[in-house]
Amino acid sequence: MLSSRRSLHALAGAYALDALDEGAERKRFARHLRRCPSCAEELRGFREVATALAFAAAAEPPPELRMRVMAAVRDTRQLPPQAVPRWRFHGWLPRIPASGWLPRLATATSAIAIAAVVVLSILLSGTRQQLGSARAQGQAIAAVLAAPDVTAVTGPVASGGVTTVLVSPGQGELVVSTSGLAALPAGKVYELWLIGPYATQQAAVRRAGLLPPATAGLTAPVLASGLVAGDKLGMTVEPAGGTNQPTTTPILLLSLPART
Amino acid sequence: MLYVDQIEPDLPGLAPVPSPADGEGDCDQLLRLVAVGDQQAFELLYRQLARPAYGVIRRVLRDPAQSEEVTQEVMLEVWRTATRFDPAMSGAATWVLTIAHRRAVDRVRTEVAAAEREQKTAWADVGPGDEVADLVETTLDRDRVRRCLGALTEAQRQSITLAYYGGYTYRQVSMLVDATLAAIKSRIRDGLSRMRDCLGVS
Repeated sequence: MLSSRRSLHALAGAYALDALDEGAERKRFARHLRRCPSCAEELRGFREVATALAFAAAAEPPPELRMRVMAAVRDTRQLPPQAVPRWRFHGWLPRIPASGWLPRLATATSAIAIAAVVVLSILLSGTRQQLGSARAQGQAIAAVLAAPDVTAVTGPVASGGVTTVLVSPGQGELVVSTSGLAALPAGKVYELWLIGPYATQQAAVRRAGLLPPATAGLTAPVLASGLVAGDKLGMTVEPAGGTNQPTTTPILLLSLPART
Repeated sequence: MLYVDQIEPDLPGLAPVPSPADGEGDCDQLLRLVAVGDQQAFELLYRQLARPAYGVIRRVLRDPAQSEEVTQEVMLEVWRTATRFDPAMSGAATWVLTIAHRRAVDRVRTEVAAAEREQKTAWADVGPGDEVADLVETTLDRDRVRRCLGALTEAQRQSITLAYYGGYTYRQVSMLVDATLAAIKSRIRDGLSRMRDCLGVS
């Protein structure tokens, strides 16, 4: 088992250069990649080396190619973004003033995505009692969505998947949802943390909730409150039921917007 | 006990990776505009990346007409899928050039006439960029790439250039240079690690 994992690691270079055999081997490594943050990191560096190799081989294409491509572009519709359009937020919101229309558009898109998840989670909840609590949580979440200062941030989870957070710094609340997280073994759970700027004291790391099991790759939104300026959102894998302090290395550490 | 300052550097994917390409930042910005349908931004992005894309496709495919065709497909794919670009995974230039190499390799591997390709030519022509004389503004310093390639062992350089510029699988490389699969795997990986350090990719 160990040796087969090690041999999978060794394929990162060949994978980065598209030099794996098509089919099973390539798929196997791609699957492994989702569960191996260090492989993903290595691959990222290798891909940049490949980029350097491409630049070093640069050659002038025929000038008419540009005209043909531009003509084709005019006639080609772009794909809609994926369910969680994470690129719109990552590294984008902090750079663009909040008055721009794009961030607001992005927030709206994400709010719709999250609202859809809320509805889904309510539909999926089985008993009347669960329905009641889902409704109550749904209302609390709706309050965050409706807050005038709501901002969306997303970040990749090191072990795969992405986390989308809607934050209302004014209300000190946030709504966390995820998609595509790696499935956990039985007895393990994803736990969220709010991590203060001076996290050298234990008190600066606060529990922010447990992610429910995913349905169709999505987790229903989790509401967390008690956000203070400078907090980051962290995520770790913990024993079922959660712990009081993180016991494993965070797989997510996301800066959250502060009150403006 | 959790110390943010201790854990942060170990977390992959949370900070944008500085790119070796100076123009990468521009490309990232442009690609964001492309994703909201900005054709002018696309044209600027084309100007930045068509040459490395065409260059690497040409390296793999050799045939100018086919290379042109694949470059057009790649650029159109960039336009269509810009909405799904994820800057957490890579810079824009890396994203585009990964697609370019991938499509070139796809073309080679699906071609029935793949066997007819001149393996020897790909083999002999391992130095990057020899046939391109007038490169006004490569975003990346070609000399530096050449120097870093030169710092590899001969075996590493051979494996990397055969795989990347030649478009061969590591299995094919192992047959070409008569080495074991394990040897080729580690030559590629070790060579890329050295290149990464040499180029200053973080």
